[in-house]
Amino acid sequence: MSLLEIRGLFIDYVSDTGAFRAVDDLSLTLEKGEIIGLAGESGSGKTTLGMAIMGLLPDNVMSSGSILFQGEDLLAMPDSEKDRIRWKHIAMVFQNSLEVLNPVIRVGDQVSEPMIEHLGIGKEQARARCVRLFEEVGLDPVWLDAYPHQLSGGMRQRALLAMALSCDPDILILDEVTSALDAFTKKEISDLLCRLQKTADCSMILISHDITFLSAVSSRLAVLYAGRIMELGATSEIIDYPMHPYTRGLINSTPGIFLYRDMWGIPGEAPSGPVSGCPFFGRCTQRVDQCNREHPQLMPISVPVSADGVKAGSSEREVACHLGGVVTLLQASGLNYSYRLSDGRLLDAVKDVSLDLREGEVIAVVGQTGSGKSTLAHMLAGVMGSDVGEIFFDGKKMNGDRYGSGYGGIQIVFQDPASSTSSRLSVQDAVKEPLDINRLQSLRERIELAASALSSVGLPTTDEFLRRPCGDLSGGQRQRVAIARALIMRPKLLIADEITASLDVSSAANILRMLKGLQNSRGFAMIYITHDLMIALKTSDRIAVMDGGRIIETGNSHHVMLYPRQEATKKLVGARILRSSAEEIAIDRAG
Amino acid sequence: MAEAVCGSFCQEKEASFEAAQKSARMAGLRAIKADLNIVSKDIVSKNKETLRDLLAAALNSVCDSIGRFSLAGKMGIAGLLLIVFIAVFAPFVTFYDPSAISGMSLDPPGPEHILGTDELGMDIWSQICYGARMSLVIGLAVAMISGVGGGFLGLMAGYMGGNWDKMLLRTIDITMALPSFPLLIVIAAFLNPSILNVILVLVFLSWAKPARVVRSQALAMKKQQYIISARLHGAGPVYIIRRHIMPEALPLIFVSILNISSYAIVAESGLAFLGLGDPTSKSWGMMLHYATSFRSIYFTPYWQWWLMPPLIALIFLLLCLAFIGRDMERIVDPRLRLRGGQ
Repeated sequence: MSLLEIRGLFIDYVSDTGAFRAVDDLSLTLEKGEIIGLAGESGSGKTTLGMAIMGLLPDNVMSSGSILFQGEDLLAMPDSEKDRIRWKHIAMVFQNSLEVLNPVIRVGDQVSEPMIEHLGIGKEQARARCVRLFEEVGLDPVWLDAYPHQLSGGMRQRALLAMALSCDPDILILDEVTSALDAFTKKEISDLLCRLQKTADCSMILISHDITFLSAVSSRLAVLYAGRIMELGATSEIIDYPMHPYTRGLINSTPGIFLYRDMWGIPGEAPSGPVSGCPFFGRCTQRVDQCNREHPQLMPISVPVSADGVKAGSSEREVACHLGGVVTLLQASGLNYSYRLSDGRLLDAVKDVSLDLREGEVIAVVGQTGSGKSTLAHMLAGVMGSDVGEIFFDGKKMNGDRYGSGYGGIQIVFQDPASSTSSRLSVQDAVKEPLDINRLQSLRERIELAASALSSVGLPTTDEFLRRPCGDLSGGQRQRVAIARALIMRPKLLIADEITASLDVSSAANILRMLKGLQNSRGFAMIYITHDLMIALKTSDRIAVMDGGRIIETGNSHHVMLYPRQEATKKLVGARILRSSAEEIAIDRAG
Repeated sequence: MAEAVCGSFCQEKEASFEAAQKSARMAGLRAIKADLNIVSKDIVSKNKETLRDLLAAALNSVCDSIGRFSLAGKMGIAGLLLIVFIAVFAPFVTFYDPSAISGMSLDPPGPEHILGTDELGMDIWSQICYGARMSLVIGLAVAMISGVGGGFLGLMAGYMGGNWDKMLLRTIDITMALPSFPLLIVIAAFLNPSILNVILVLVFLSWAKPARVVRSQALAMKKQQYIISARLHGAGPVYIIRRHIMPEALPLIFVSILNISSYAIVAESGLAFLGLGDPTSKSWGMMLHYATSFRSIYFTPYWQWWLMPPLIALIFLLLCLAFIGRDMERIVDPRLRLRGGQ
């Protein structure tokens, strides 16, 4: 039997005007000695869940379902019974530490109080135990006689932790214990929790929006959104390979996971009222019609084996998504391409390349000039076919078809701004050309779409500018026009082939930030081809390093940067690091 | 002197003719623009759209280039228009039929015959005016057929590539390797020297150059990223040629047309001068032929009014074409454009 089992829990806050559902059909189990992390944005129901387990829900709450602690239903229990369980079996460290402690009672007395109450020990004994507890949580016992306002935030947090630990509980619930703390204290607390878990052998429920903290301490992670569990699995595996778009969004917003990359939050807001379908529908980048109609259930899924043969997760993973989590958008395997040189020899530009790309993911393909990056990009875009190998896009095999000719396909932006658009065509004609070719929309709509695409890439939409021939624009502007032309087709995958290589640093930075912002808000996947490792680190989730036509290394971008495995990668990292600082500063400033 | 005459002619003729031309052109342009508006309002059938697009593009590029002409180029256009005018309205600017014996033989210029008469007493001015027709018709016909036809072949070969391209290239090589003028003489001597035959022979000898120029242009443009983009967006060859390659190739074709017309005019006059032209036709070359065949013409004053007028007319026409061609080339070639004319 699990230590704690939550089954089909619903919690509604009832007010005069209506009800707000804070926890929605949530089921979760906690084994003995396990640390489970609850992650999610504010308002996702994490704290409510903790309060419900503690039996501390306010009166204006309607709840149903059950919370079984060692087989006893805590929800159905009368208050007197709950007191028996509270502190002694389930203890909680509260979030806002100044309000939680009584300002007129000394800290030591407050920590002793539950021991006297629940363990039935004497005052002296309790104080002696208190000293031990203080030492255990790393707090000097001289502070026993201090008042709460005399302690610093970190000390108060420790005192609260000591209080929660005082009765040797089976389950410890920690609600945002590190949120307000500085990095050093945070690190100490997380070390302390790890130690405690080993020595005291208690189970913990960590509630936090800080993924880095959760990843350091918890073994299992439940990602909550709008009162529902979106993803459940082993913490490290979820962070390495999130399967739910929401989880990925959270991880992408966490600076600790991607050290070098710019941070981008999940666009949009959580739903404020009841929803009929998936609560993440409005913010999801891969939504389908079904998502708006039906609630997705938390289902076990198998984490796909990536094309390079590395399986990200081995243990079970549960995801609440109709599509079974983030879908694999592009899957290329065994790609080969050779150029015939003038003397008849064959030059292998791309050799046995396999690459997979998930919906909404940004991957940078990095390598020296001549390593086959552009050839690979052109093959993926369909500019040329591959000699061997196959490409699956959106589940369909691609053999010479043009995925750029409709909405939701693949678009490519090329390197050279001077030839990326025809010098002769006007800006408007150049941008709406794909629509003209495919006869999409009416002529008036095309013009409107072109204007909106131009404004989304930060270009003016005055009549004068729309009529200006592309040949009169600057390199940066032309590249923006080319991006607008690609975006007008609402691609699911945008391939950017060295788009900033021939631009000055500031234009390059502006374009990159603009593109990344669009990627974040529209959620298309992107393959970014570059020889510049620093730009790759800034923009991408994942890096694939190419050398001599092969992909020699792929991985989380900062992993590749910090721990390069292959010689060529080490050379690449080494070659850039000296010159990198100035470039990064320029990019930061330009933003 | 010649310039003053020309200037006075220019002024009055230009005033009437060019204004008419211009208004016609503007009207055409307006009509096309209006048509395009209609097209943008409701979709007309695709073929019409294509034609209009092409026409508008061609017209725009021509108008645009003329605006960028140097002074010499503008004079060239004026001169060419003058000759065209004379040729078209030959019956109205002359007083005699060119083949009618209208005076004494070898009359010097005077009030009766502005430029005098030849040995048979035919009016030289009339012959010049009617001869312009011959030169222009042959020049224009040869240039249009070989420019447009050769351009089209080059475009197709360049864009399609493969075996078609190889075949065309070999054919071009062979055609260009042939010694053109001797061949011309041989062919003209063997064939019946009618206008049609002369045109056909000249076309056969001059189509290769525009084909090669346009082919290389198409080949270079095919690799341009915006054309690759268009192809990825699903554009077919018709669209790409119509929308992208054609407008860029048209000025090149236009330059070739100008150059070929010079060549054709010289070649026709040359053939006629050698006596291989149509003996009944009135062309400047035939006039030169008859004048030079006149025994010891240089010991008489006759060469002044018999030999000089066709010679000056020919040089004037070729100069005009050369000026226009030079400016067109400068405008079309971006490298020359940078260096700039005037």
